[in-house]
Amino acid sequence: MYHFTVASSVPMAGEADQVPILPYLPELIFGLIVFGLFFWVVKTKVVPNLEAAYQARAEAIEGGIAKAEEAQAQAQAALENYNAQLAEARSEANKIREEARSEGAQIVADLRSQAQAEASRITESAKRQIEAERQQAVVQLRQEVGTLSTTLASKIVGESLDSDVRQSGIVDRFLAELEAGNVRPEKVGAEPGQDA
Amino acid sequence: MSGNLNLVGYGLAAIGPAIAVGLIFAAYINGVARQPEAGSLLRPIAILGFALAEALAIFGLVLFFISPR
Amino acid sequence: MVLAALSPVLSALPMSGEGDGHFPPEPQDFWQPLFAIPGTGFYFTRSMAAIAISAILLSWWLVRTTRNVSVVPSRGQHYTELVYNFIRNDIAKDSIGAKDFLRFVPLLFALFVFILLNNLFGIIPPIQMPTMSRVAYPIALTAIVYVVYHWVGIKKHHGIVNYIKWMIPPGLPAWLLPLVVPLELMTFFINRPLTLALRLFGNMFAGHMLLVVFIVGGWELFTSDSIGLKFVALPAWLMAVVMTLFEALIQFLQAYVFVLLAASYFSDAVSGEH
Repeated sequence: MYHFTVASSVPMAGEADQVPILPYLPELIFGLIVFGLFFWVVKTKVVPNLEAAYQARAEAIEGGIAKAEEAQAQAQAALENYNAQLAEARSEANKIREEARSEGAQIVADLRSQAQAEASRITESAKRQIEAERQQAVVQLRQEVGTLSTTLASKIVGESLDSDVRQSGIVDRFLAELEAGNVRPEKVGAEPGQDA
Repeated sequence: MSGNLNLVGYGLAAIGPAIAVGLIFAAYINGVARQPEAGSLLRPIAILGFALAEALAIFGLVLFFISPR
Repeated sequence: MVLAALSPVLSALPMSGEGDGHFPPEPQDFWQPLFAIPGTGFYFTRSMAAIAISAILLSWWLVRTTRNVSVVPSRGQHYTELVYNFIRNDIAKDSIGAKDFLRFVPLLFALFVFILLNNLFGIIPPIQMPTMSRVAYPIALTAIVYVVYHWVGIKKHHGIVNYIKWMIPPGLPAWLLPLVVPLELMTFFINRPLTLALRLFGNMFAGHMLLVVFIVGGWELFTSDSIGLKFVALPAWLMAVVMTLFEALIQFLQAYVFVLLAASYFSDAVSGEH
């Protein structure tokens, strides 16, 4: 009924009766050849293409992800940069404003003090000038008063002093001469400066 | 009625692997139910265990065929 | 429950039906020669035709959809890439590790689509025979995986002696060695290829057998003389539909398991850890 002889050596009736776990030799060889050919096709024609597609896709996906990440990083960096610049500008503006304020105050104070100084200086110089002028006037007045009085006295003494008319005529003449500038003051006695 | 005692023997021999396969997949289902994310990790292990347990039944089949009838 | 309802009926059936004698299905039903190859005494079988068709279809589809790959994929390229990325990232990268998974991807991808389509042939109407239910093909595929992982392991460990030394876990007491060494060697050289090939074969074989039981069994019931049995054929066919959907799941799962195990064997071989 069953036998362990090599499959190929048994006749057809034997093949049919053969235990099913023993291979039929032509099938074994044929199977090896067919699978070998199929494997050759897969190895040389199919897998390299598939692997290339696989790699290309992996690269495309990885590249896309890397690109997106890069763009994200760039955007993030730009944002940070922008924020930093904004903060910097803000603090700069604050500083400038502060500076301007203090500078303005400084300027105002400076100007005020300057104006004050100027004003006091002008006042001072005006005072001084007035004083000087007054001094001058006093000196001049004193001189002239002395001269006038001596001139007047000499006139009075030189003429007859009895008549009022005469008298008044003399004074009037004197004054007229004085106004005309004919009378030259002359020094009489004491120095004018010493009197004052 | 005619028949072959080998068939009964093979039936008996298949009980052990059947229980083993049942246990293996019970454990696999348990594992996946507890931790669904481990499913892909457990599947090859379960299939391998199933294949190894099944090998015993296959030996039974072989013995069934090669024993004289 | 359909099964429970059927079981007394089935036991009432004559074991060799008076129809064409196709019930119950036998393992010999999978032997379907088409014509003799002249001069060799060999036969060209139906599964050979199926596997050739699968390779041609897959090659045509894969080359067509990946000839002009672009970053924005066409519909066909999208489906191909869906499967490719599943194998590349979920299986190869996760099991083998990011360092040297890439050189195993072509083999794993080829294995997965090849096994998946050949399994799905079990429920695709004009063929309706899972190629992998003929044990020769799982053995052929396993032989390739077997050779590759041992070759990679020997290269990784600089010679076959180191490779075998690496298989034995370090730090064992000497008296355990006679026990452990044969077990470990058996694991690497016998158990792994045997289970890898026979799991795929067994699942496809048994699943197809199950479908045949329900479909042909339903036909046997339908053509029987009893009117009661004719009605029972309907639930049997309903069950066949359900089992077909279940088979689709199993067929995908077996392709996945085969590739996952192959990837884990490669991973063992290149990782250097035990």
